[in-house]
Amino acid sequence: MFDNLTLARIPDGDDDLRQLARKLAAEAVAEMPLDRRARSWSGFDADFSRKLGAAGLLGLTLPKQYGGGERGPFARFVVVEELLAAGAPVAAHWIADRQSAPLILNYGTEAQREFYLPRICRGEALFCIGMSEPGSGSDLASVRTRAERTASGWRVNGQKIWTSNSLASDYMIALVRTSGTSEDRHKGLSQLIVDLKTPGVTIRPIEDLAGDAHFSEVFFEDVELPLDALIGEEGQGWQQVTAELAFERSGPERIYSSVVLLDGWLAHLRAVGRSDDATAALVGSMIARMAALRAMSIACTARLAAGESPVVEASLVKDLGTAFEQDLPLAIADDLASHPEEPVSDELRRTLEYITLVAPSFSLRGGTREILRGIIARGMGLR
Amino acid sequence: METNELLEPFERMLAKLFPPSRVREIDSSAEWQDELAEVEASGFLDILAPEANGGAGLPFSAAIALFAALGRHAAPLGIGRAMLERAGYGEAHSANSELVMLSAMMAGAGDRLLAMTTAYANERVQFGKPIGRQQAVQQNLAVMAEHCVAVRLTVELAGDGSGPPDGLRAALAKSVASTAVPLIANIAHSVHGAIGISAEYDLQLFTRRLHAWRAEQGSESRHHRSLGKSLLAGDAKSVDWLRAEIFDEIA
Ligand SMILES: Cc1cc2nc3c(=O)[nH]c(=O)nc-3n(C[C@H](O)[C@H](O)[C@H](O)COP(=O)(O)OP(=O)(O)OC[C@H]3O[C@@H](n4cnc5c(N)ncnc54)[C@H](O)[C@@H]3O)c2cc1C
Repeated sequence: MFDNLTLARIPDGDDDLRQLARKLAAEAVAEMPLDRRARSWSGFDADFSRKLGAAGLLGLTLPKQYGGGERGPFARFVVVEELLAAGAPVAAHWIADRQSAPLILNYGTEAQREFYLPRICRGEALFCIGMSEPGSGSDLASVRTRAERTASGWRVNGQKIWTSNSLASDYMIALVRTSGTSEDRHKGLSQLIVDLKTPGVTIRPIEDLAGDAHFSEVFFEDVELPLDALIGEEGQGWQQVTAELAFERSGPERIYSSVVLLDGWLAHLRAVGRSDDATAALVGSMIARMAALRAMSIACTARLAAGESPVVEASLVKDLGTAFEQDLPLAIADDLASHPEEPVSDELRRTLEYITLVAPSFSLRGGTREILRGIIARGMGLR
Repeated sequence: METNELLEPFERMLAKLFPPSRVREIDSSAEWQDELAEVEASGFLDILAPEANGGAGLPFSAAIALFAALGRHAAPLGIGRAMLERAGYGEAHSANSELVMLSAMMAGAGDRLLAMTTAYANERVQFGKPIGRQQAVQQNLAVMAEHCVAVRLTVELAGDGSGPPDGLRAALAKSVASTAVPLIANIAHSVHGAIGISAEYDLQLFTRRLHAWRAEQGSESRHHRSLGKSLLAGDAKSVDWLRAEIFDEIA
């Protein structure tokens, strides 16, 4: 089953940006303690993102015509892998580079492409994802935020929640209802690009359990948007958001959320000189899972490179990947606590504590474990 | 590709030679020289043997799909072993290639279990609908599929190359395959209910093999140990180590 997911290798030419990405990432994290690096995905640093843009490391899947690198998903895989392995602060450009840009490329008008894409490639247009609402989490089709046609464009009312990085973003791509009611489900949904500086938009940050405030509530009160805020076709929002989610779910980030902790722990073991059989077996079990996941993630990248939208395959990788990411802090906590005689640096302790607290979110954000398994089951012909 | 052209006739032969009834007899110690003679005559035992020795001289990677087919048909381990023997890889390499062969057979058997279990879930009706319509069953099958794909891709990764795999890749394949066995076998049995426990139902032919092959040449903890020792011995970070030692991305 899933025979189309076969072994793939990163093509030779696509590895050439690795050293550059590694160098820039190393510079960005040079002064950062381990626990800040562990925040990688939610580490916001607009300067760093612009630096990546200037170096040609953003928009790698976009055509040159729009300022992209015209390199494809493998080159992006390589760069993203390096940034995450180093724990570089990628949040600022993350969403735009990963999913908003491909969405605009695929569904946008020529004018929209020319307006947004070059700035995304320079790391200057920052995007966030406006899908979830207080009453719509997994059941995304039930969104109630509404956009009505006006003489000059759209008027938006409603609320989004858990919107990562919205406070510092320029734009949100919001899934809204443009006709019908929640009962119409997949019909009548559309996607709008909301300039977050538009009057009527209020953003209220939400503090998370680790004390960070990377996500927010976003309120829309009679927000007037121009006609060309619509991206793609009116009423096609569900199809578009499904394609967008395939980009969101298929990247290497779904296996590397805890990699900074893993490397911190390996450094600890080497420093104290512990490599007995039991420790080695534990280390080996983790690296073996990571190897399998990397092979799966590269195989998935090959499907993207072939122009497919590997929704089911990406769900396989993400579900297995987040389980791995979540098991790491638990196993490492047990290991360290079972060797009380060893000195453990404060940095490593803080990193472990941080990852332990946020790990449950790994299998929530981007679609919950249960939802992903449902998608896989559908791919297996069970529903 | 060469592999696919080989695979189809090979599978056809295995299906003919090793129907479940025959597998049961062989499991009860029946001799299988006739079958072996037929496989010999087909030329498949020589696909890895050097051309100088009258073999086909195919790369190791070409045999992975055939090993998996052996597992999918519950065919005797001896066939794969004979293929490896004739490859003439030398002692250390033989051990590594046997590990990857076993892992590939496990991937094949897992694949067969996944197909059987999914089909059964769509057929068996309880509470007025197929049990596969129950979300709890679907979720378990999804997890089973994830592990089957993980094993298959890891085996393909470990077996990728013209020559026999090195020790680390062999350990990787066998550890990932062995780790997945309890989960795959348990879900397969759980979804099948009591029928899967009966001797005459074919499920047990495959779960029995997975448990035996998990232990053969060392189960997961032993191979995790070698991977862990190697990783801890140097100072490479995890991703760099994987790229260098397993993915062959750093010359
Ligand atoms: C760190 C973080 C960042 C996020 N960033 C964003 C963002 O930038 N933009 C955005 O739009 N959203 C974002 N989200 C929200 C995320 O997409 C949702 O949390 C997710 O879709 C689940 O929705 P929910 O939290 O409302 O949970 P619910 O949907 O209420 O689910 C609760 C539980 O019920 C289960 N469940 C629900 N329905 C079913 C079903 N049909 N079958 C079986 N089980 C079911 C779920 O699996 C889960 O276990 C973020 C979330 C987190 C944690």
